[in-house]
Amino acid sequence: MPLDYRRFNGPEDSVSYKRFTKGYLKSYDELYKESLDDKGVRKDGRALSEARSLFARTDMVSQAKGSSYVELRKTKVVCSVFDPREIPHQNEFSQLGQIFCEVKFAPFSCPRRRRPHVPDAEEKALSVALRKALEPTVCRHMFPNYQVDVFIYILENDGSCLSAAINAAGLALADAAVPMYDVITSCTVAIVGEKMFVDPTEAEENLATISPSTPINHGIITLSMLSELKQISDFTQVGSMDVECVVKAMDILDKECARLVPLMQKVLVANVLKCFETRKRLEEEANEKEQLLNAKMDEWKKLLKFT
Amino acid sequence: MAGLLLSQSEKLFIVHGVQDDYRSDGRSNLDYRPMELETDLVDTATGSARLRLANTDLLVAVKTEIDVPSPDKPDLGKIEFNVDCSANATPQFEGRGGDQLAVGIANLMQAAYQSSQAFNLKQLCIFEGKQCWKLFVDILILECGGNLCDAVSLAVKAALFNTRIPCVKAILMDGGDVDLQLSDDPFDNKLLDVGTAPLLVTLCKIGDKCVVDPSAEEESCSVVSLIVGITGTPSCYSDQENLAEVGGKFSTIDMNGPGSVAPKTLKDAINQGIVAAKLLDKALAKALINERKENIRTKKSSYGFLK
Amino acid sequence: MAALNKEKLKEMGKLCIPGMRLSISNKENIAGPGTYELRGYIYATLCGTLKIEQTESEVRTVSVESPRTPSVLPKTGDVVTAKVTVVNPRMVQCSILCVGSSVLVRPYRGILKKEDIKATEKDRVDPYKCFRPGDVILARVLPMTEIHWYHISTAENELGVVIATAEGSPQGVSMVPISWSEMQCPKTLVKEPRKVARVIPENINHALFPIRDNSTKELEIEADK
Repeated sequence: MPLDYRRFNGPEDSVSYKRFTKGYLKSYDELYKESLDDKGVRKDGRALSEARSLFARTDMVSQAKGSSYVELRKTKVVCSVFDPREIPHQNEFSQLGQIFCEVKFAPFSCPRRRRPHVPDAEEKALSVALRKALEPTVCRHMFPNYQVDVFIYILENDGSCLSAAINAAGLALADAAVPMYDVITSCTVAIVGEKMFVDPTEAEENLATISPSTPINHGIITLSMLSELKQISDFTQVGSMDVECVVKAMDILDKECARLVPLMQKVLVANVLKCFETRKRLEEEANEKEQLLNAKMDEWKKLLKFT
Repeated sequence: MAGLLLSQSEKLFIVHGVQDDYRSDGRSNLDYRPMELETDLVDTATGSARLRLANTDLLVAVKTEIDVPSPDKPDLGKIEFNVDCSANATPQFEGRGGDQLAVGIANLMQAAYQSSQAFNLKQLCIFEGKQCWKLFVDILILECGGNLCDAVSLAVKAALFNTRIPCVKAILMDGGDVDLQLSDDPFDNKLLDVGTAPLLVTLCKIGDKCVVDPSAEEESCSVVSLIVGITGTPSCYSDQENLAEVGGKFSTIDMNGPGSVAPKTLKDAINQGIVAAKLLDKALAKALINERKENIRTKKSSYGFLK
Repeated sequence: MAALNKEKLKEMGKLCIPGMRLSISNKENIAGPGTYELRGYIYATLCGTLKIEQTESEVRTVSVESPRTPSVLPKTGDVVTAKVTVVNPRMVQCSILCVGSSVLVRPYRGILKKEDIKATEKDRVDPYKCFRPGDVILARVLPMTEIHWYHISTAENELGVVIATAEGSPQGVSMVPISWSEMQCPKTLVKEPRKVARVIPENINHALFPIRDNSTKELEIEADK
């Protein structure tokens, strides 16, 4: 494990105090009961097939060409997109432009452990998954030999962070006026036995990753869709499940992604309106300034003629 | 695949062939190319295998070490995958060139082996909460001729099948320390249960259909491929008759390449993947059991390490 | 919110977002910037407003105009505005600033080879007699053969130096073309050789250089006095 020696890393064998609490070593059944009660209601009061309400906005980072912020209750993600730039260390001609993605967790973002500053395996895997999801979406032939940078910063992780990141990146790319084929939406489902937790929280994701003692289906599936084109741009599954389960989850995710599309469209329309407003305001301001300048010029010209 | 040039009509020929389930080298869409498998070649490792599939050549070695189990999984051992893309394979891997590919494959393997239904890590436990085995699976890519993921998963399964873990007795001493007692007899060891270990099958989408084990020419006709990890059938690997019919579940699904797929194609592909994986698993089991029997009868005496 | 913005919406025209189907693609409807064609339809690739331009008889170009500067890069065949940075006997290096009428967010590097400067007498061209560092030129983008560098050409009458300052002239005083190969400073009357562009209105960025007939006349009158 490479350490960043420029920072103070703390003692290497430090552990979270939470490990010594009662809640840490709960049995599988206890965790399951906690996540889902007998009536089929989840811990946060949702039904199994109910996703969290999504909050999204664009224009979050003023320095970036385009940016967005997506919130799924406690999962909070910021995304910024920059203009095409040269691909570093590239010496091969590529007809298609590249997308460079970097997903970073804030050090304090995860409930279980502190994130190190150096990118770990999970962050790298998320970056790759994000790139794969975005590649079919962006018109990459428009910028051959250049790359568009997409940076994701996860402020708080409460599950479904890859879907949140893909949704945020889609909005930020549209905001940055990077040409795209379609609006991209993404959703995650966690599977425990017969139960499918749509848009899972971190605790539910954790439950789905633990291998149960009986051979039941478990795992997490994330799917991203281009809804207008009816294409799946990325599909990742971990865990263990049979074909029927995968197909069923796909149908659920398909619907859930379609449900998100109008929301995304709304955000983008609001973004366009806002852009036009600011542009109009700027033009008005510029006009005013020009008029003032012209008046001053006239004044000076008159003075010149007199002398 | 550097230097591979295909004309439009050649590509069309391949696409039409795939459509009719008859590929240019005479295979059907589900057939693999012939492969060569050898086990137990590295003396310094606990288990090893070498696989050659068409032009892809791999050497996998397993090293075992004793480690402390992670606190949230006290009864489980550890397994870690490392892929080394040596510059021997292609000059592109020189320096850090192969890093991205290597990390991608390692992550995929890690995801595929995550569930206990795919690989039971309990068998690596020495003393619950104190000591466990850690398997380091080092994958060396000697020659790169396409279809790496499938070859890696086959070779890893073969190497794990070949791995012998020494029998260790652990006794808890006063003060919570663990005392390990290793048997003096070098033949006093146990084999790993790898029946359910997953195999990865790459399904390359050409036209509307998918093929397994694509050749370089076929790969260049496709923009997206699907990688499915499917757990093995343990009954193939042991002589016991009364084993429950488990396996054939997805332990990981991932998409590779810049393209996207329609939902129906994806569903068809995963079904095709299961069929292919089952055939592959059966063939591998047969080869491995034969190899083991031969090894017991006569210790191979051969010259030339990599023949 | 929708009711509030209704008036504004009318004034802006139809809003588009990526993936929106705009119209049928056929001989009458052509996909313009900000759109793409798929299976006989035109779709939007950008967020912005729909613009339908009647170019020739019966042919309409469907395009989407973004409120932001779209992430455009120079394409083969585009006319670009560039600033000369280095001149040496074999080639001229410059940084590309604008494509057509849109300003690039980042400058991109361009190379103008000696043989691409003029259409005639290619082998007798001396780059020093055509360009100087700091000149603003119009050029056309050649097919891309190298990464990180755009090859450009000025081998057309309409392409070449547009704005240049003579040596020793004060800042901001640009020379006036007096022939296809010479420019003169109106202040110091120094003449310098350049590959002059015959600027046609199509290539002028109207926002940057507003055409004001009156003002130029005034200047001339003043100069006469």
